[in-house]
Amino acid sequence: MSSRTLTAPLQQTMTPKDGVIIRTENLWKTYDMGAVQVHALCDVSFDIERGEYVAIMGPSGSGKSTLMNLIGCLDTPTQGKYWLNGRLVSELSDDELAYIRNKEIGFVFQTFNLLSRATALHNVELPLIYSGTPAAERLERAREALRKVELGDRMHHKPNELSGGQRQRVAIARALVNEPSIILADEPTGNLDSATGDEIMNLFDRLHQAGNTIVLVTHEHDIAARAHRIIHIRDGKVARDERVK
Amino acid sequence: MATLARARSLIHERARRLEAASFWVMAREAFWIALEGLRTHKLRSFLTLLGVVIATTTLIVVMSIINGMNLYIADHIANLGANVFVLSQYNWATSDEEWIRERHRNKPILMDDYTYLRDVLSGYKNIGASAWVQPSPQVKYKNQIIYEVNVTGETPSIIEMEQEQVDYGRFFSESEYEHSASVCFIGTDLVEKFFPNVDPIDKVIFVGGQPFRVVGVAKHIGSTLGQSQDNFVQIPLTTLQKLFSARPRMNIHIQAQDVRQMAALEDQVRAVMRSRHHLPYKEPDDFGLNASATILGVWEQLTGSIFAGGIGIVAVFMVVGGIVIMNIMLASVTERTHEIGIRKSLGARRRDILMQFVIESAVMAATGGLIGILLAIGVAKLVDVFFTASVPVKAILIGIALSTSVGLFFGIYPARQAAKLNPIEALRTDG
Ligand SMILES: Nc1ncnc2c1ncn2[C@@H]1O[C@H](COP(=O)(O)OP(=O)(O)O)[C@@H](O)[C@H]1O
Ligand SMILES: [Mg+2]
Repeated sequence: MSSRTLTAPLQQTMTPKDGVIIRTENLWKTYDMGAVQVHALCDVSFDIERGEYVAIMGPSGSGKSTLMNLIGCLDTPTQGKYWLNGRLVSELSDDELAYIRNKEIGFVFQTFNLLSRATALHNVELPLIYSGTPAAERLERAREALRKVELGDRMHHKPNELSGGQRQRVAIARALVNEPSIILADEPTGNLDSATGDEIMNLFDRLHQAGNTIVLVTHEHDIAARAHRIIHIRDGKVARDERVK
Repeated sequence: MATLARARSLIHERARRLEAASFWVMAREAFWIALEGLRTHKLRSFLTLLGVVIATTTLIVVMSIINGMNLYIADHIANLGANVFVLSQYNWATSDEEWIRERHRNKPILMDDYTYLRDVLSGYKNIGASAWVQPSPQVKYKNQIIYEVNVTGETPSIIEMEQEQVDYGRFFSESEYEHSASVCFIGTDLVEKFFPNVDPIDKVIFVGGQPFRVVGVAKHIGSTLGQSQDNFVQIPLTTLQKLFSARPRMNIHIQAQDVRQMAALEDQVRAVMRSRHHLPYKEPDDFGLNASATILGVWEQLTGSIFAGGIGIVAVFMVVGGIVIMNIMLASVTERTHEIGIRKSLGARRRDILMQFVIESAVMAATGGLIGILLAIGVAKLVDVFFTASVPVKAILIGIALSTSVGLFFGIYPARQAAKLNPIEALRTDG
């Protein structure tokens, strides 16, 4: 049995400037709908450095989620190059992509995407199970992550016994638990009322202060305003890339 | 160099341990998911598992019946004694048609045949004869009566060729045989009933109204198909002729020096008997020659065909059961596409998903196997009441192993479908 610890991708196809976590170069994503071709992303290029707090903004259908899924290694571009931590993602095997999703990326979805049958604790344990973390350490780290999002007293509740905000906090704990290089959040407050949304955003702010790199998708200005940099997307293109703090 | 190699092997060792640890966690998770699925959809699960349940039950019941029959044969017919064969009126193990034909043509074996064979045969170790008193007479001691006792007349040599052995006292002697003495050798059933606290030796019991002095007691044998094998009185064959029947029909037991001389001795007996009965060259025998080996051969054939039939049924139901499980698993993969997407987004590899669904399928089938085993144990108990069956441990192990393998095998296709799902497409389906 080969271990994922040893199949960790090692290709060093380029050495980006120190501190660059994400580099996209002329990314295209085209959906072939038979009669028409939908260009969800056209020629997208940017760098994101360690420790940045980036918001990706744009109207509905502009290609934000498509971009996030590419960054999160859930999907592959039609054209263009994407480096994550210096590794050219298009060259990675299936298992190596799984490894990256497991270790390098913490994904937070608009719809939470929790396993409904499992307790909060087990949901948070899942990434550790897939990284082969021994039981004692796994439990300890999962509990610790839940405490970080102030759900220490809800560990054995199932998602349907939790409020929307609590569910999203479970999802954030799950994203944090493997100490990823980057946290990706696709409209994390989209399914929450504004008060709960603020709580979640405060949590992201704290995570950023603690040193995490965060990329956040939103179409709301006041949420984007919390970030230090806003990448505006329109019709699949980068319309503007501004530093706000 | 050495340190480097050691460091590398340490890393490998740790990696292997991690892999093993996560395997068990995932296996346990899949196990509970499977059980919960079975619990929440009881009727569907029952229908799903029906094929595997029937297959496992059939397998174990067939194996139990064959095992029971084998035990019976081993205990009772194979126990004729080493290198012994029996000349009797009929063959003991034949087809029905053969049996009907033999009923019409075969001649009884009589005392003349015994004395003649005893004198003309050469090269045997022992020869003896055994005849039944029929109908079974009642046996009485003081005011106690046992009905239906198995009373046989024997030559003294028989004790060396049959399964009965002397526990205490002795078998009757040559001289008692010569003088048609009224002595008897009894089984333990009679001792229990008549002589629970006294020494039975030299007591007088009444067999069919005639007094017999007990000279010996046999070792306990046990019972088969509910029939005690210890409920017997053996008396000298000459005494049987004198008191019960002048021309008794008998079986003649012949013991060869060793197994290699069995066939030659059988041929000798056959030749002698055919000439005594003036059988023309092409006529079949009109008597039976029964050796434990030939009887065992017939039994093996019989059990073999029962087994072959059983295997057929088992195979059909296992395949049907497997296909049903496969369909349910395919449906489950479709239902849980979103879950698979979540797991993949968290870093599950193809093989992790594959394993999860294969284990689920195996657990489901193994549950069916387990139910089948419990059912089979019940059925075997029932069969044992009116026939014979004994569940061998081997059958239980085979039942579990087979049903689990069917689950593994038929789980592979659905599990592969699950494993090769694209993460983002799986996530997009409604969960
Ligand atoms: N699987 C798909 N098949 C076809 N078209 C798609 C698919 N996913 C997204 N699109 C199209 O790509 C464009 C961008 O979608 P998306 O990235 O979801 O936008 P956003 O998240 O900004 O609302 C839209 O026009 C959408 O219709
Ligand atoms: Mg979107």
